[in-house]
Amino acid sequence: MKVVLRVLAGPAGALLLAFVLAAVAMLIAGVSPLDGFGALFSGSLGGRRPIAETLVQTTALLFPALGVSLAFRAGLFNIGAEGQLLMGGLFAGAVGAHFAGPGWLVIPVLLLLGMVGGGIWGGIAGWLRARFNASEIISTLMLNFIALSLAGYLVAGPLKSPLASGAETAPLLPSGWLPAFPTIGSLSFGDTRLTISILIAIATAAVLSFIFTRTVFGYELRAAGEAPEAARRSGINMPRMTLIALALSGAVAGLGGAAIVTGVLHRFNTALSPGYGYTAIAVALVGDLNPLWVCVAAFGFGILEAGGLAMQANAGVPKDAIHVIEGLIVLVLAARRYFATRATGAPV
Amino acid sequence: MSTGVSLMLTLLFLTLIKSVPIVYAALGGVISERAGVVNIGLEGMMTAGAFSAVVFTNLTGSPIIGLIAGLFFGAVLGFVLGFAATFFKVDQIVAGVGINLVALGGAAYGLVLIFNQPGASPQVTQLAPEQLLPQITVAETAMIVLGLLCAFGLSWFIYRTPWGLRIQACGENPRAVTDAGLNPLRLRLYAVVASGALAGLGGAFLSICEVNLYSDGMTAGRGFIALAAVIFGRWTPWGATGAAVFFGFFEALQYVLQGRISWLPSDAMQALPYLAALFAIAGLVGRVRAPAADGVPY
Repeated sequence: MKVVLRVLAGPAGALLLAFVLAAVAMLIAGVSPLDGFGALFSGSLGGRRPIAETLVQTTALLFPALGVSLAFRAGLFNIGAEGQLLMGGLFAGAVGAHFAGPGWLVIPVLLLLGMVGGGIWGGIAGWLRARFNASEIISTLMLNFIALSLAGYLVAGPLKSPLASGAETAPLLPSGWLPAFPTIGSLSFGDTRLTISILIAIATAAVLSFIFTRTVFGYELRAAGEAPEAARRSGINMPRMTLIALALSGAVAGLGGAAIVTGVLHRFNTALSPGYGYTAIAVALVGDLNPLWVCVAAFGFGILEAGGLAMQANAGVPKDAIHVIEGLIVLVLAARRYFATRATGAPV
Repeated sequence: MSTGVSLMLTLLFLTLIKSVPIVYAALGGVISERAGVVNIGLEGMMTAGAFSAVVFTNLTGSPIIGLIAGLFFGAVLGFVLGFAATFFKVDQIVAGVGINLVALGGAAYGLVLIFNQPGASPQVTQLAPEQLLPQITVAETAMIVLGLLCAFGLSWFIYRTPWGLRIQACGENPRAVTDAGLNPLRLRLYAVVASGALAGLGGAFLSICEVNLYSDGMTAGRGFIALAAVIFGRWTPWGATGAAVFFGFFEALQYVLQGRISWLPSDAMQALPYLAALFAIAGLVGRVRAPAADGVPY
């Protein structure tokens, strides 16, 4: 019984649960699970275009999930990936609208700006925690809402494109667009939304994996998360680590925002994220906070996100069922131990 | 009446109205954290309350039944979190995040399934919408009074009754509760169920007292602001109530100022309550102490 429970509380159990619950959600909506899953998978994996869209969603989830993993590894609950993603996109979009130049210059600058925007947003939470012992859980959540109203104000006012009907920045010049995903054999992605941003995301995962396992900083970061008391006594500057970890975590999420702006939207508006930053928490947990497994988890959730739309259109199952399933997966995975202790944390 | 006075009156009553849902959720946060369970799921429990209140009002035509349904479904989510946090010893924050995702997704799913319209529900019967004063309805007044009674009742309960003291002990030193021959896990479960019920009531207020429908994202982080109110109020019922009114004031201020200060647009002012909460928890450096076993599974 105990063993069964332990296996069920792991990613494998979560996956199994996801399938069972998806079937239940389909049955409630009066749809045969066969039709529902058929629509879900043909809409996400059935062909070149669906696969490209799945990978677009994978990328959108992967950046914030990597950011969340980094903070969680340091024992910090960054629930603010949504706001950090938005700020990254805002920084990239605000400058990108007016930045003319060759692509080799514009694209890296915009991506870097995304990291700066997200990094500032994560850094604020880090500073509040390091300096005032203000719970990062609450501050990152509050910063999500503050980011949304700040961005909403800017795109409706100072940054609004005079040519756009809605609230959004002026479009990026084509030199600032991320190149399409390279052609593999006869498989071309030029007519899809898939760009090289997925390669950037995977490279980011590889870099983070290297940092975690092969660098002193990564070791200290994990020590701060796994044994905060021992880390402190061994001379790790905990407030500094808190600030750096949350700023870096935000920077990775912010990079994702810039990747959406330069790769998909080619402008900034507040519809940039339909909640990627929250789903990213589920992705990070399913990936066990390990960057390489997080890539796999992001692909799984990418299938759900892309297939969910097809499932709604073709099988009549509301796509929001997907988010219920994601939430239940998080609930199941909460039974695992991610943190050594919460007793030393800031008051929540 | 001069414009200044009437504006002040509007601000006063709006503050009271906007505080109500935060007060209920914050009281829920107090009882849960006093028992040692951090309830990040307050937001989701409010959502469940707001949505189910509309569904059941629509089903029965009676907003009173809707209100009770809101309380009930908030409590159901409280039970889920409480059960997970006690008998399965899950990470409470992670579980709370899960509860929020489930509730938000579930309400959006339910909107399509039950009402066949995404985004917002159709209008239902509002709870006692008659105006008591020009600024406030009968239902809103009743819910304010009930909220104050809840604060009074909770304060009396946790400081003056044996069961309340035992709940407090669960948050400070659950081992001592075991040694006294009681089951701290069960007490924690009861506390989180009560917490969910209060949050559900706060959510129901949003959907069937203030307005007459549910729309996606209508809780707008009030459950999270309530968590900040718990800290700002130092884990006491009256402190949390006061803090909730403080945050409610900033929400009301945003409506009153709208269009009155030309250089401060409404989008930017929407950030006011969240900024207030952020400053509030940051301003308490070294001056607060959470219950010793708060957030720690036993």
